Parts: sequence; C-alpha cells; structure tokens
Amino acid sequence: MVARSKFQELLAATRQPPKEVTIRVKRYDPETGKVWYQDYKVKTFRGMTILDALLQIKEKIDHTIVMRYSCRMGVCGSCGVVVNKKPSLACQTQIAAVASEDKPIVVVEPLYNFPIIRDLVADFGDFFNKHRAIKPYIIRKDPDEVEKGEREFIMDPHDLHEIYEYSLCIMCGLCYSACPVSAGDPLYLGPQALAQAYRFIADVRDEGYEERIKIVDTEHGCHRCHFAATCSAVCPKMVDPASAIQRLRKIVFMKTLGFWKKKKITQIAGPLKEPLRQIEAKYAVENILEGVDPEEQAKREEKIDLEL
Amino acid sequence: MSTRKSKVKLLKNMPGVVRASIDPFLVRATNNPERIMFILHRVTGVIIVLYLFLHIYVTSNTIDSARWNSLMEQFGASIVNKIGEFIVAGAVIFHGLNGIRLLLVEFFGVGIGKPEHPKPPYIAPSLRAAQRKAIYIVAVLSVVGWIIAGILIFTGYLELPL
Repeated sequence: MVARSKFQELLAATRQPPKEVTIRVKRYDPETGKVWYQDYKVKTFRGMTILDALLQIKEKIDHTIVMRYSCRMGVCGSCGVVVNKKPSLACQTQIAAVASEDKPIVVVEPLYNFPIIRDLVADFGDFFNKHRAIKPYIIRKDPDEVEKGEREFIMDPHDLHEIYEYSLCIMCGLCYSACPVSAGDPLYLGPQALAQAYRFIADVRDEGYEERIKIVDTEHGCHRCHFAATCSAVCPKMVDPASAIQRLRKIVFMKTLGFWKKKKITQIAGPLKEPLRQIEAKYAVENILEGVDPEEQAKREEKIDLEL
Repeated sequence: MSTRKSKVKLLKNMPGVVRASIDPFLVRATNNPERIMFILHRVTGVIIVLYLFLHIYVTSNTIDSARWNSLMEQFGASIVNKIGEFIVAGAVIFHGLNGIRLLLVEFFGVGIGKPEHPKPPYIAPSLRAAQRKAIYIVAVLSVVGWIIAGILIFTGYLELPL
C-alpha cells in the first residue's frame, strides 16, 4: 500500500509507457445483470492517459463500452474510475505511471461504493443528495443579504486561506469511493459532503453553522469517520477531506461541551467612502514596433494559405 | 420512462464493512499508512472484545477456589494459552497507543496540519503533519512493547507462585 511514494508515482508518469498495454475493464450489463472483465490491447504513446486508452477502445475496438467523461483535463471530475485498485481520474492518470514492461496490465473498474449504471458509469444521485443535505451555500439570518446581493461580504485573505483548500472540490467522488466507512454504511454522508460542511461552517460569511452542525452531528455524520485518510491520499485536487472532517468533529465536540463559538462573522461591505480612483486609459494608436496604425493593419487583406 | 426504469438494475458495488475493515489491499492508495493503522485498530479491537468475553468466563470460576487453582495450573502449562496471551498483549498495546493518537486527532484536531494553497507534489497537509510522525512512533512503541510482553510471557516471569 505504501510501496511507492507520491514522488515515485509522479516520476513514473514522465517515462515512456510500454508499447502495448492490456486494459482490463470491469463491465456490467444492467439488462442481463452480467458482470465480467474484458481485456483490450491498446497501442500506447508517450503521455497517454487511461481516458485516452478508453476512448481508443471505444473508437476502434469495442463501441459498446460505456464511460463518463467531459473536460479531459481534471477540472470537471466526471471520469473517476478505479485504476489498479486506486480511485483516480482517468484523464489525470498516465499509463506510464500504472503499467510497466514487466506488468503491462491495467485494471480499470467503476468507482467503489457507488451503484453502477453500466460498465464504468456510476450513479451519483445519492452522492449529490448528500452534498445537498449539508446546505452547501452561504446562509444568512437575513436572506436578503445574499439574494439581493447589493454589495460583497468582507473577507480578508486569511479568512479565505482557511477555506480555500476545501473549496477546490470538484465532486469527482474519489474520496467517497476510497472511504472504508462508505464501503459499509450507505447512509454515511461521506468525506466530500463533510468536507464541504466544514468549508461552509468555517466560512466567515456564513451564519448557518448551527443548522449544519445539527445535520453532521449524527451517527451517519462526522462521528462515523475513522481517520483512515485514504480520502486525502486519493484526492486529485489536494482538498484534504480527512483534515476537514477532524476539524469539523472538533467543532462539534467543543460545541457540545459549550466551548466553541464562531470567532468571526463578517458583514456586508459598507458604501465606499470615496469614489474609486479613475485612470484614463489610452489605446496606442500607432504600432510602436513597426510604426503602423493597428486599425489600418486590421483592414488589410491577409493571404492565408489554407492548403498546408 | 417508467418501463425503462423498471428494466435497469443498478449494480451494488460496495465491498462491505467487514472487507473494508480487514483487507489492506481493497484500495491501494500510495502514501497512506493511516489506512493500515485503521485496519490494525479494528482487528485489534475485535481481538480485545473476544478476549473480554473469555476473561469474564474465566474469572467467573473464582467462586470455586479449587477449580480456579486447577484452571490456573492448566493455563500455565499450555503453550496455546501463552500464544493467545501474547496476541492479546500485542493487541492491547497497539490499540491503546493508537487510541491515544486517534483521540488527539479526532477530538482535538491535533497534528493534522494547517490549510494551505495546493502546490506540487500535491500531498495533502494532513498526510505530512505531526499525526504521521505519531503513526511511526506508535508503530515502534507497539513493536517494542510487544517484544517485552513476549519475553515476560514466554519466560514465565509473570506466572504467579501457586
């Protein structure tokens, strides 16, 4: 489990992958209920990711394979799969990092702890419902402050720094898939929702912490966590849900004992004391380098040879 | 839509609490000794609970002193009992030490680092903080304690004169 460090993993990703790898995909047919592993041989190239390999399989070998993806660059969080028993984003996992000449087999499975719709596509319905359950938005005693939104809430960089890490979550579900508690308790809110609960409780703009603490202070809430920290180890965005849950639990524990009170709640920024400084901007009329008027330059016809 | 819904069956893909508690290879995440500690904590916890029942049963014999003495004689002679005692000693030492670490981390938020802006190589702060060092300390102390317990148990140092 700790055989390879993160540095070794990153280093391996820069190497040339084996010329041909076998992608072993766990497949599921919902109509017949059949589950099986299918092997596909894929020719690789340097920098090839698991998603590239899956798309190549879908395009050239087997059109029936189903996966979910969108942005291909680790932003959308749609392509979460389990690669060699590690929940990873398919678009962020290099073939070279998970396969070698000695072992050119990569096992790709759908995310654990999620119901599977077909092949590699997991049903995120419950996962999103749990995220919704913790009220992931700014709550104010006066809702007009948010809804009308005439001015911004004051938040200094230190306050932002406290929650910035946790606000990077892309809801890919990898932490939920890796969690040993989610593996046995389908009602457990999960690392993602709990980390977001902490992110909003710790937010200086938020006043809904009491409601949120009531939601997480249950047997399926933050107390269910056992700090296996696999959520933080697999998170592709360094969100660190493990520490968020411990901080949340500390807040709940201290609040139950009567020692916790939210230190700071900011207000809406007041009107400006003096108007913003006006700066007169001038466009450069002349092209400084060539001495040509850019507007005239734009009017000129350019001959572009399209037949390369 | 309703007919389609009735046809589609979702595959339950949950390994279950037992497998998640005993299988260290269920999820092969790198840089995660916390999970090994979690598994060991669960396994040692089960060992301690089983021992507790056995202990209650054995101590229930103290009412009859003759029976108690014969039981203790049997206990001293049997190597199986000594091995069992050795396992329980290891479990108690590890579970206790790791329990202190978990109490500090889970209830007081000690040793989980501070929030920071992500930067390469993107290792979460809680995996680099003091609790990670505490893991190594717990592991070393547990092994040392277990060795000492083994010496005391197998050399007969702990046996009471009857």
